[in-house]
Amino acid sequence: MSLALLPRNICVAFLVAYRAVISPLYGDVCRYYPSCSSYALQAIQQHGVIRGIWMGSRRILRCHPWAPGGVDDIPEPRRRLHTTRAGFVLAHEEH
Amino acid sequence: MDIFALLMWPIKWVIEAILVGFHTVITALGGAEGSGLTWVLSIVGLVLVIRSAMIPLTVRQIVSSRKSLEIQPEIQRIQKKYKGKKDQFSREAMQRETMEAYRKAGTNPFASCLPLLIQMPIFLGLVQVLTDANNRKAGVGLLTEELATLFSQSTLFGVVPLHQTMQGGFASGDVWVIITAIVLTAIMCATQFYTQLQIMTKNQTPAMKESPMYKQQRILLYIIPVFLLVSAWLFPLGTMFYWLVSNIYTLVQQLIIINKMPTPGSDAALAREARMARKRQRMGLPPVEGDEAAAETEVEIKTQRQQPKGKGTKSKREGRA
Repeated sequence: MSLALLPRNICVAFLVAYRAVISPLYGDVCRYYPSCSSYALQAIQQHGVIRGIWMGSRRILRCHPWAPGGVDDIPEPRRRLHTTRAGFVLAHEEH
Repeated sequence: MDIFALLMWPIKWVIEAILVGFHTVITALGGAEGSGLTWVLSIVGLVLVIRSAMIPLTVRQIVSSRKSLEIQPEIQRIQKKYKGKKDQFSREAMQRETMEAYRKAGTNPFASCLPLLIQMPIFLGLVQVLTDANNRKAGVGLLTEELATLFSQSTLFGVVPLHQTMQGGFASGDVWVIITAIVLTAIMCATQFYTQLQIMTKNQTPAMKESPMYKQQRILLYIIPVFLLVSAWLFPLGTMFYWLVSNIYTLVQQLIIINKMPTPGSDAALAREARMARKRQRMGLPPVEGDEAAAETEVEIKTQRQQPKGKGTKSKREGRA
């Protein structure tokens, strides 16, 4: 794993832990597909920490009771990076 | 770290204002200024204010989840389409279609993420406010050093200091602190467990129960108490009171929701329909479905000419009577 990918993988680890432990406590609450945490996870995987957190935060602000919901995918990255089953990004290689 | 403190500042300011406000009111009503009970009641007040402020969000969610009943046939069609397909891609496609159907219908049964996530910084803010107060440090707003000192010295019933933790209780061998902490933790675990169990067993549709999320939820049901025990070990009693009252609030709210406005298609919804049907029967009204059917047949009859009924002769009628 290249060092440049370390920050995003740390964030990925946090989000994966959140999705495994805390998220199920609430049950299905998100008004969108993919859910907010999944969206944030994908955004960080594909766009990096700073842009990913920015996109994820904006998505959470969009997920309020007056929002229509629906399908809302992350902005398509210039090239989609390959992720492991757990969600880590190992190298700058495409799908 | 500084950005974090900056983000927490307004939250802490509001928490302090509410706490100090309740403290002033309760003192004016005759509560002792330095009494632990006064502070506990202030914390109860804080919970009531925060949770009541969120009622519009809850109501909004329930209204829209009721509205989603209307597109239940469409949702069932999608579920039937993917029935028995448990692979990741089918599930994903099914969720996509479901969400899109809700969006098109302009309704959504889900609560949304923001209200849930907002509670985390509020709790964190309270922990910070109470920790500062315990250290007799002035807060960011209305909680002066004087009030902080009062809080840090306050004891519940004269024996249980509010700033103490379960850990501290065990360290100093203070029996009353240990007993209070254990009782609080037990009630907290019980309320959390019960609320979660109610949601899972009664307020979820069969489709929700099939999802992998549900199995995770089931496992977590038994892990939560352990989490609570660990947090109870670390957090001051004052914070635990907040958590406890908040849990009880959630429990009562959830029971009302399950009874009055259950998730469409869940066991609770079926139970409610059965209840309503029984009630209509008791009142001598025809069942709801029957009502519609009757209306339809009436329309059909109207297309035909009403046949005049033979009255018979006067003597016949009287003779029969």
